[in-house]
Amino acid sequence: MVEAFNYSQELKQYLHRIIRRVDGLYAIIVSDRDGVPVIRAATENVPELALRPGFLATFSTGTDQASKLGLSRNKAIVSMYTSYQVVQLSKLPLILSFVASSQANTGVLLGLENELSDLLKDIKAAVDITVSQ
Amino acid sequence: MEEALDKVLDDTMNMPGVTGVLCTDKLGLCLGARGNAPAHSSGLIATLANHAKALEANAEAPPIVCLESDSGNILIRAKDGITTAIYKVPSGP
Repeated sequence: MVEAFNYSQELKQYLHRIIRRVDGLYAIIVSDRDGVPVIRAATENVPELALRPGFLATFSTGTDQASKLGLSRNKAIVSMYTSYQVVQLSKLPLILSFVASSQANTGVLLGLENELSDLLKDIKAAVDITVSQ
Repeated sequence: MEEALDKVLDDTMNMPGVTGVLCTDKLGLCLGARGNAPAHSSGLIATLANHAKALEANAEAPPIVCLESDSGNILIRAKDGITTAIYKVPSGP
């Protein structure tokens, strides 16, 4: 139990390091399909609404609908707002979400997918074990 | 729609010493890539150009960034909201 807690703290620190490195990035959230956060790292700049499961879960519906457009399975959705942008990536059974300033570099956020792939693999394995138990 | 851009990218690729070319917008979203220029590096390329520009905010012409390594050189320049990166073979000793 203590080990799991330490590991989760380490993951959070890793995500915070990425947030500090990328200009305008406010939060990284790894959640399940229902928007329930598995792990998240956020600064005080992020709007509280963007961290709620209700907000994060809208991606599941969006990606399902976008997959019906005949362009094969949808992988990512970028939502631009006046002050913020939200980049969400489908990593079933997980969702990777970035909340950032609208001025932040969207390409860098999309590129973080490669960097976080190992971390997601670990979390996915843990989620699969939990589901099968 | 992007025929003109495709032609420029193809023409650039045919220049001597060029191994790859990439164009990105100011948000780092890739507009086109050829050769060994990875499309997922568009964000980093746009960031490099922006940071270089911030170093010389009063300069009339946008700066050209040159990244030199043993495996090759990358030339980056931002102009009119478009950032272009050209990947070249390594320069001689």
